[in-house]
Amino acid sequence: MSFDFTLIIDAVPKILLGIGLTFQLLVVSAVLGLVLAIGIMLMRISGKWYLSWPAQIYIYIFRGTPILVQIFIVYYGFPQLEFIRESFIWPLFRDPFGCAIVALTLNTGAYVSEILRGGVMGVDRGILEAGTALGLSVRQRFIHLTSPIAIRLALPAYGNDVISLLKSTALASTITLADMTGIARTIVAQTFAPYEIFISLAIIYMILTWILQKSLGRVERHLGRYMQK
Amino acid sequence: MDILVGWWDDYFWGSVVVAQVFVCSLILMIIFGLIGAAAKLSDNFIAQKLANGYTIVFRGTPEILVILLLYFGSAIALTSIAQIFNPDIKFLDVPPFWAGTIAIALIVGSYATETFRGAFLGVNPGSIEAARALGMSNLQTFIYVRVPEMWRLALPAFGNHMLSLVKDTALISIIGLNETLFVAKQAIGTTGEPFIMYIVVGLIYLGFSTIITLSVMGLERFGQRHLVSSQ
Repeated sequence: MSFDFTLIIDAVPKILLGIGLTFQLLVVSAVLGLVLAIGIMLMRISGKWYLSWPAQIYIYIFRGTPILVQIFIVYYGFPQLEFIRESFIWPLFRDPFGCAIVALTLNTGAYVSEILRGGVMGVDRGILEAGTALGLSVRQRFIHLTSPIAIRLALPAYGNDVISLLKSTALASTITLADMTGIARTIVAQTFAPYEIFISLAIIYMILTWILQKSLGRVERHLGRYMQK
Repeated sequence: MDILVGWWDDYFWGSVVVAQVFVCSLILMIIFGLIGAAAKLSDNFIAQKLANGYTIVFRGTPEILVILLLYFGSAIALTSIAQIFNPDIKFLDVPPFWAGTIAIALIVGSYATETFRGAFLGVNPGSIEAARALGMSNLQTFIYVRVPEMWRLALPAFGNHMLSLVKDTALISIIGLNETLFVAKQAIGTTGEPFIMYIVVGLIYLGFSTIITLSVMGLERFGQRHLVSSQ
């Protein structure tokens, strides 16, 4: 058992070929997840039971089950259902990439909607009262007062969720996708050198996390610039 | 439901494995978290750096990667050690149960480190001064003042850590632990009904999450009973 550096030099470029797929999974599901989360959050705070109950049930289910189980249900389970095979969304579920996107989006949407709700709840009541006094409608208050403040409040927690989404994309390797983890697992199966390959992969992920963290920190500072004197 | 006949007992034993992993990793997670928090709060420069490295590494790498690395890495190390004594041995591994349990405890422990650190910092300095004034030793202050105050502060985040522990258990099926997801794979192999089998797994995990959420809510109410009565 020795640490083989030539193996690392050989393997890292191969692993990096998967970085594109990892990024696609991350960006597509982060954007779709955010859109979904905004919808779910609006349903949750609407104050109408027929909107808020489905949202709460959705959040409860997707936060209460492992993401791996969700991926397996989408990838292995859904194609078994007749009505999905015959509907127009079938091409999406036929492809492992589509399945990974669906599962990651649904999962992150549940978490992010709660983060956004926390931000909206954290907005100072006085500001909204001032808005009412100025004659702003409910919609105007939400767009011009609540949203900008809620985004600033929710951003740190949202950043953490993006990072955990990056880590969740590694699970796409379990449904045959050749992202970075998938490629690394193939190389390990061929060479049986888990230390070298997996440690270099871990370092790549750590660098990506670090970059994400730094850039989100920069956005946070930019949005909070009026606070610094 | 007919296709599930004959699999209920397998799912039951799978759930028992999930519960076992949860209990073992919970204990380890608390230990790792407390050690990490102690190191971060200590004045020792090296301990601080080590604890920082620990949280950066385990919070920055995917869970599945840590599990794979710990399992296959330890298998290689064990095999090469065993071959020194007996060259006939081809493969020797740490049981997936322990490799997986330690892996998820290490991961969630790195999050718990930050939680515990924050909670210890949140203890009211006045309480500690009062304990000093009463002549309590450092150990007594820790047991009677710091811990009772910090666990209430740590509880909400700690509840989330327990939920991640139980959900990460599903990942250990990848290295061959016979928990519910693994049972489902076997069941699908014979019945060819992936949808219903994985839904059952999801429901089992949902049950575990519900139990944990409810107990954390109960504990929170218990921890704040002195605040409620004074209102």
